[in-house]
Order: sequence, then C-alpha cells, then structure tokens
Amino acid sequence: MGKDAMRRLLWPLVALVIAIAYPFLFSTPFEQRLGALVLLYAIAASAWNIVGGYAGQVSVGHVVFFGCGAYAAMGAYAHFALSPLVGIPVGIIVSVAIAAVIGVPTLRLSGHYFSMATIAVAELVRLIVTNTDYLGAGVGLSGPTVPRNVFDLSFVSALPYYYLFLAVLVLTLGITWWMADSRMGFYLRAIRDSERAARSLGARASRVKLYAFMLSAGLTSVGGTLYATMFGFVDPDSGLGILISVKMLIMAALGGAGLLFGPLVGAAILVPLEEISNNLLGGKGAGLTFVLYGAIIVLIARFQPGGILTLINRLWTRRSKPPETQAAAGAVHAP
Amino acid sequence: MRFKRVLRLLCAASMSVALVGAASAQDKTVKIGAVFPLSGNAASAGIHAKFAIETALDIINNPHPEFGNFPLANNAGLAGLGGAKVEVVFADNQGSPATGQNQALRLITEEKVVALTGSYQSGITLTASAIAEKYGIPFVNGESVAANLTERGFKWFFRVTPVATDFARIYFDFLKEMKAAGVKTDNVALVHDNTEYGTSVASVITSVFKENGQSIALDIPYAVNATDVQSQILQLKEKQPDVVIMIAYASDAILYQKTMQSLDYKPPMMIADDSGFSDPSFIKAVGKISQGVFNRSSWNVGPAGSPTAIIADMYKKRSGDEMDDTAGRQMQAFFVLCEAIDRAGSTDPAKIQAALKATDLKPDQLMMGYKGVKFDDKGQNILASGLIIQLQDGENYVAVWPKANAEKDPVLPYKGW
Repeated sequence: MGKDAMRRLLWPLVALVIAIAYPFLFSTPFEQRLGALVLLYAIAASAWNIVGGYAGQVSVGHVVFFGCGAYAAMGAYAHFALSPLVGIPVGIIVSVAIAAVIGVPTLRLSGHYFSMATIAVAELVRLIVTNTDYLGAGVGLSGPTVPRNVFDLSFVSALPYYYLFLAVLVLTLGITWWMADSRMGFYLRAIRDSERAARSLGARASRVKLYAFMLSAGLTSVGGTLYATMFGFVDPDSGLGILISVKMLIMAALGGAGLLFGPLVGAAILVPLEEISNNLLGGKGAGLTFVLYGAIIVLIARFQPGGILTLINRLWTRRSKPPETQAAAGAVHAP
Repeated sequence: MRFKRVLRLLCAASMSVALVGAASAQDKTVKIGAVFPLSGNAASAGIHAKFAIETALDIINNPHPEFGNFPLANNAGLAGLGGAKVEVVFADNQGSPATGQNQALRLITEEKVVALTGSYQSGITLTASAIAEKYGIPFVNGESVAANLTERGFKWFFRVTPVATDFARIYFDFLKEMKAAGVKTDNVALVHDNTEYGTSVASVITSVFKENGQSIALDIPYAVNATDVQSQILQLKEKQPDVVIMIAYASDAILYQKTMQSLDYKPPMMIADDSGFSDPSFIKAVGKISQGVFNRSSWNVGPAGSPTAIIADMYKKRSGDEMDDTAGRQMQAFFVLCEAIDRAGSTDPAKIQAALKATDLKPDQLMMGYKGVKFDDKGQNILASGLIIQLQDGENYVAVWPKANAEKDPVLPYKGW
C-alpha cells in the first residue's frame, strides 16, 4: 500500500520539480512567458476537465466563466481603481452564481444537447457584454498600464506570473485530485459511464453534476482573472470568444479528458506548438500556423482519441505488468 | 576517440565562425519589428501593410535618386549609421490582443529589434505597445485611431496618423461647404460597428458636430462581423437622412453595400470613414455598386514623376493593388521611424526615442498629405490632417475636397449602381 502510494506520487512530484526548474532551464523572456502561458491554459483546461472530463458533460460555454474572471479583474481596476486581484473572489462568486442558474436547466440535457445549450449561453453572454457600456462594450476594458504597486501584478518579467500560475495550477489539480478520490468523484465517473445506472444505484445525479459544474466554473474564472491580469486587456473577443472554450476542450481531450494530468499534458503540447508555429510561419503572412495546428489535432483525433496520457499509460502498463492485469491498471482515474 | 575530438574541435570552430559572422553582419543592419494581422479577419489589411513596408524598405535600402529630396531615398541604407541597411521582422498578431503582445515581446527579446511598428487593430496596438513601454522600446503607430492610445502617459509610444477628432472636423467642414453650395446636409445618420474603432469614431463625430451646433439625427450601432444588416438598412430607409456616415471594417462594409442594393436604398449622400471602404477588397467586390461614396484619406497619388506617384507605382508592382490610405499611413509611420533612427545615428532605443521627440518633418518630406509630423507630449502627431475623396467611377478614389488639393469636383447625389 505504501509502495502504491509512492508510485502514485512519483510522477506528480517529478512533474512539479520539472515545472519549478523550467524557468532556469529555459531562461529567455519568451521561453519563460511561454511556460507561463502553458500553465495558464492548463489551469483553465483542468478546471474544464472536472465537468467535461470526469463528469462527461462536454461544456462549450466555459468561456463565460473565463470571461467573468477576466472582466471582474479589469472592471475592478477600471471602475474602482482596485488591484486586478480583486477579480479572483468577485469572479468566483459571479461565475458560481451563473453556473448555478444556467446549470439547473441545461444539465438536464444530455450529450450534444448540453453542449449546444452551453454554446448558446456563451454567445448570448458575449452579445450582452458587447452591448453593455459599463463592461466596455465592443471596446473592452484595460488594466493598469503603469503599475502603481506590486498588487497590480504588472511585471516586465514573466517569472512572477509563472510561479503564481504554477501555484494556482497545483491548487487546481489538488482540488481535482481530492474531488476525484472523494465520493463525488466516484459518482461523477458513474454518471459519465451511464447516468441511468448511476441514478438507479442511488447517486443524486442532478445535484452532483451541478456541484461539479459550479466548482469547475469557479476555477475557470480564476484562470480568466490571471489571463486578463497578465495581458492587461479584455474585450468580447479575447475574453468571451467561443474559441477559448474550444481551446480548453481540445487541450483536455488531447492530453486525456478525465485524467488528472491530461489537460496539463495537452497544454504543454498545444501552447508551444501554436506559439512556435506562429513564430516560424506567421511572419510569412500565409496563415500556415493554423493549417499546421489543425493538422496535428486531426491526426491525434484520428489515431489517439483517448488522449496522449491514455496512450502512455497503456504502453507503460503493457511493459511493466503481465497482460491479465492490464485492464484493471489502466489510468489512475480512468474507468 | 581521436576522431571524436577532432570532430568536436571542428564543431566549436565552425560555431565561433558563425557567431562572429553574425555579429559583424548585425553591425550593419537595423532591425525593426512589425506586428500586423497577417491572418484572421483583418488579414487583408495586414498583408497590404507588409507590402507597404517592403516597398519602403526598397526605397530606404537602395539608392533612388529619382525621389529628389525625399528623406532616406537618395542613398543606400541609413546615412546616419554609415549606410546601415534596415531589416524588418514581421510577426502575425492573428487578430488577438494576447498574441499581439506575445509577438511584440518575442521581437524585442529574441529578435532584438530596436523599435516596433503596428498593429492595425486598436485593441492590439494597446497590448503590444504596453510591452514595448515596459521594455523601453519605441513603438511608432501609423494607423490605429482609438483616442485612448495616447492617453496612457506612455513615453515610448508615437502615433503619426490623424485621429478621430481630425477626421470629424474634416467631415463637418466639408458638409458645411456643401450646404453653402445648396446641398441638404441637416439630417445626419451615423452607422458604426461596436468595436473600439467604431464606437470611438462615432462618439467623436457626435461631439464635434454638437460643438458646432449640429446634432446627429440617427445613431445606428451594429455588432462587428455582421451576417445580416437588413434591419439597419431598413431603419435608414424609414428615416430618410440627408447624409449617412458609415464606419465599418471591410467585410461589414461589403455586406452593407450589397444589402443596400438588394433593398434598393440610396442615401442622397454617403460618407465612409476610411478603413473598410478603402480596403482593396471592398473596391473589387462592391466598388461598382458604391459609385459616388465619399471617403476620407490622407493619400493622394499626385502628378506623374512626384515621389508619391513613384511610390504608388512601386507599391502596385509589389502588391498588385492600388495604394490605399491605410497602407499609406502605415508606410508613412515607418518612414518617420527610420528617419528618426537615421537622425539619431544610433540603434540605442533611448536615442531613437529622443530623435522621435525632436521630429519635425515638413509636408514636402512626406508621402501623405499631412501638414507635417511633430509629436506632442503624449506622442500624437499634431500636424496630421486629411482630405475628402470620392469613388466616382467605382474603381478609383479621386480627391474632391478641399479645393486646393482637389483633382475633380464632388458629384452629387450618391449614384450607387
């Protein structure tokens, strides 16, 4: 048992050590910023993973919560001259409330219909914000351009952002781990496999799904606040564009949806891929970046739809265990 | 074993040669970064900006005695830096403020550019110039008109283009003169998108008209990248304004013109606020059904043999399209930046900043029809101005106002198709 726990902790610890050491191994400002972006997207994708991966409710409206956090941060600065960090609690409260309001009706829907309903909500919110002057309408809100103090979180170096994001990511993954191991985690996985069966065995499916949705919303909002704080600007396209939801989804799916480290692996592959392909090809003006990006996603969807971590887990268990126990070992949290 | 050691030595030797080579080559080039939307919704504008800057590079880096006194053209490279060549590193902002900022950072820290230009969309110019400010790198903008860009207290941001207030005054003066000539101009309608650009230009026009005692009769905002604008056109059709002022990016502008034709609506007079209506794709797609639309511009081809006519020719050869106002303003900003670097005689960003602050260019040193280039404390060019042009034949805009610069007389009413 002790040995088993150690084995389970080994890889997370290795990942953490690599993450802490990364800025020293790759020390140019661009590489450090790239690292910070990976962590940022990993936070958002991990938050999405709670409801999209574990509970199997594929939300395409998570950008609403991301936007809540981003707008709360910039709004706190623009309207009240407060630190954008105020956006974290405000964003969490607002997005959890919104999640409760939209979760009750939409979580009754199953499969694609839930996804479609969340898209509708996201577009609706984007249009409302686009026409609300208080939220900057189509123009957007800007953050502090010249930092007044350290709480404005406006740094030249990406290093402070990097470690802040790392801390938040560790917290997010910690909460996810705790949730997945608790009764709720088992309920969620049961619901994902068959909601009807789970209900018949006494799982309160609606309530559990709603809790997961609210938890996921709150964490996504933190990601949004951090994003807006780093870039110092949010407008309807960059804070509420449907592509952000899609990015969270793709990152989690690529790494392995429903696996603790899936979204991190996905972000660690896709963010550098996007940035570096833009660096190499963007200046030519041929739009090749998205062709390359899209092609890799298509290849993975075709050949490894379970995500990269599932593939690694399978190869790992095949090598280290006799074939009979393969199925049982699987991934840490896989069904 | 020995072979390996020899190999290692060879590797080290070749690497150091490469490094030395790179260092000496760098002494003779000045690297400037350009962040533009080379993909996404505004890709057409970004790609034309790239052509414009490449044309400017040709003029700067090669001897062009035919330009006469035009700055930087006569000799090869920058004379102030011993004939150093200018090199531009282009980056794609993908239409996203975050990507624009990332790319600006990369150009500054990885490519070691000494100055930046860009980034077309006002929101992206906002985030990209913020990073330049933090690193102390001059950022010269030639085309973003949002008012707040120069209100941030930045020390490293310079804007060459006229802004919304300048244009609003031009529109007002033009309409006043038309009214004196007997045209009805009392009832003005504004149609604008809800972006930074659309809303700020619309509100500035409203306030400038109000200061001069005329109120805007009808204000119609719409969501950018529209898929249907019938309700907006029907609103205009019902209210029958004398003048419609349109503020839209290219894809929306094209949709408006097509919808006007399908609903058979022609305002007596239509003025467009540059951007979409100046885009080459607009003229190609709907120029023929937009005959008689007025537009603002600071670009005028001028007589054959003049520097502007030569530039127009070089640009067309490179891009396949006519020079438009937006590309011209970007190119002008790039010339202003290079002239400052040349005058600074240095690639030190602080010296370039000082030279930019001391910039004082006269109209005959410019390709655009500005009254000059001189920056105020906020970094805004206080001598920027423009003129009114008209798409009379549906293919090429001609200057019609003010009279001193006019090639032809304005034609009214709006003809359409």
